[in-house]
Amino acid sequence: MPSAFDNLIYGLGVALTPAHLTIAFVGLILGTAIGVLPGLGGTNGVALLLPLTFHLTPTAAIILLASVYWGSLFGGAITSILFNIPGEPWSVATTFDGHPLAQQGKPGIALTAAFTSSFIGAAVSIVLFTFFAPPLAEWALKFGPPENFAVLLLAFATFTGLGGGDPAKTLFMTLLGLLLSTVGFDIVSGAPRMNFGLVSLQSGINFIVIAIGLFGLGEIFLTVEEGLRLRGVRGRIGFRDLWETWKMFPRYWATLIRATILGFWIGVLPGTGATPASFMSYGLAKQFSKNPDRFGKGEVEGVIAPETAAHAAGIGALLPMVTLGIPGSPTAAVMLAGFFIWGLNPGALLFQNNREFIWGLIGSMYVANVLGVILVLTLVPLFAAINRIPFGILAPLIVILSSIGAYAVNNQVLDLWIMLGSGVMGYVFKKLKYPLAPLVVALVLGDMTEQALRQSLIMGQGSPTIFFTRPITLAFVLASIFLLLLPLIRSYRRRPRLPAPAI
Amino acid sequence: MYRADAVFAVLLLLGALVLILQALKLPVAWTEIGPGTGFFPFWLTVGVALHAALILVQSLRAPVPPGRAAPFIERESVRPLLVVFLPMVAVIGMLRYLGIYIGGGLYLAGYMIFVGRQRWVTVSLVSILLPVTLFFIFERWFLLLMPKGALLEYLLYGR
Repeated sequence: MPSAFDNLIYGLGVALTPAHLTIAFVGLILGTAIGVLPGLGGTNGVALLLPLTFHLTPTAAIILLASVYWGSLFGGAITSILFNIPGEPWSVATTFDGHPLAQQGKPGIALTAAFTSSFIGAAVSIVLFTFFAPPLAEWALKFGPPENFAVLLLAFATFTGLGGGDPAKTLFMTLLGLLLSTVGFDIVSGAPRMNFGLVSLQSGINFIVIAIGLFGLGEIFLTVEEGLRLRGVRGRIGFRDLWETWKMFPRYWATLIRATILGFWIGVLPGTGATPASFMSYGLAKQFSKNPDRFGKGEVEGVIAPETAAHAAGIGALLPMVTLGIPGSPTAAVMLAGFFIWGLNPGALLFQNNREFIWGLIGSMYVANVLGVILVLTLVPLFAAINRIPFGILAPLIVILSSIGAYAVNNQVLDLWIMLGSGVMGYVFKKLKYPLAPLVVALVLGDMTEQALRQSLIMGQGSPTIFFTRPITLAFVLASIFLLLLPLIRSYRRRPRLPAPAI
Repeated sequence: MYRADAVFAVLLLLGALVLILQALKLPVAWTEIGPGTGFFPFWLTVGVALHAALILVQSLRAPVPPGRAAPFIERESVRPLLVVFLPMVAVIGMLRYLGIYIGGGLYLAGYMIFVGRQRWVTVSLVSILLPVTLFFIFERWFLLLMPKGALLEYLLYGR
């Protein structure tokens, strides 16, 4: 078997073909625009583009979606710094110090710091990814149904333990997501079920439709309600900004290392993703800083910490997805849904059977990250100008694009109603602080979870002791129980909650 | 806000009970193929119901914030929300006749006039050019067939 290094060279070759390079370029531009636009997020953006990939090869498709994802990670910072409006949930923490810096007449420094630290966080994480993924996948190949179920359990428990939302609401959303996945027909026996006698529900509730509703329309409703007023600082990056900012970077080496490791780890944990990573990293940087009172008033370190962690988490989130088939963030969940549509089985077998796909993806991470940072550094004024599109045009446009995206998945009008319904639900859920990520991830993992559970029970002749007698399974189950109990322990000790909002 | 929380939890609980009944129509217990078709959905519905109940209890026990509780939706936000939402219902409802391109164009125009308060030139340019662009992107370039609706079918193909 070729070494990881050989594979990487091969993957870079795949990513650097003119066709794939063009796709990465288009994806990055689209992604950055999506990241800049309030009301249109990375998760929704990837979901909207998914139908467009039906006619591409799987490798081209994943490169497109991944580039959109990287682009949206970059784009979120632009609006945060210049307009004080986070384009993405993971760039909320960037507003704290990024916008004050811009107001003090240093938008170039804030932007350069954000992009450079994003680049560093991503670059280090990609290297970690390259060398962690293959052995992890190989290990996961030995998993049987009980191990698979235990890993999934761990993923769901992570939401409750570390998601930062209300534990009861988090568990509710996880179970609801799993429940929605059972609508349609039984994956084992093929019998119809939970469809209320509706024939159009027999093919199941499509995950993409729900994601577009929850994240796309829900977000539009919230933005419309709050009313959007943009008063921004004009920003461009000159050579002096680059020089001045980069000169400061060595000083923050400790923050960079801390934020990268934290971000990558949070990203790898299933279901958490870039948003909590950015908040935790900001909090940590402030705690470790010699002058914490400067945070929130335009401290460069307050931009570096969340941006590094967010990008590291974005990369980390793909690790459990390609190795175990478990998405580490809602956006990754949408990509995972794409795997099924393109006819690929996510998980360990990808490394054996789809070398071009998986190493093309990894190669494109390197390429897209370099390309991305050059693009955003040079094109900031252009991307910032996107925000001059009046919301009165933007809102209906997003609604139309969402409808097209939702319809294209299955070509049925019922899906538009489901999208509208989940849009309303998404709005209410968000307002009442129900976390959306667990629902989305659970919905996409539902079939896999049910299959693993039922096969395990058959293996154990109906007895759940099978989950406690196999060592790997037992370890995962114990870790899950600990995570599920963590909120109780925490409230008992009355420690302050994590500073992350529900995602 | 806490009252909205409680009301919503009651609704979720009711929904969960309906789903339990739906799941009970299936074989829940052990069958010859292992756990029955309804095994997984049934226990999930039970879990969903229990957590909805837990959320309800939590919201009832939460301390009431002092002063007048803020309404779930502020009075002045109701109109903008309905202006986005109701036309969507109308357009999706009439999709069979209008299709996504004409329906979408009308939606765009309506929103730009009544909410965006754009000039007529902008409105007509955007609400005509955008659906046309989308038409070419999806129908021609990516070969994704969208519902074109009776009207557009007639205009394009005369049927």
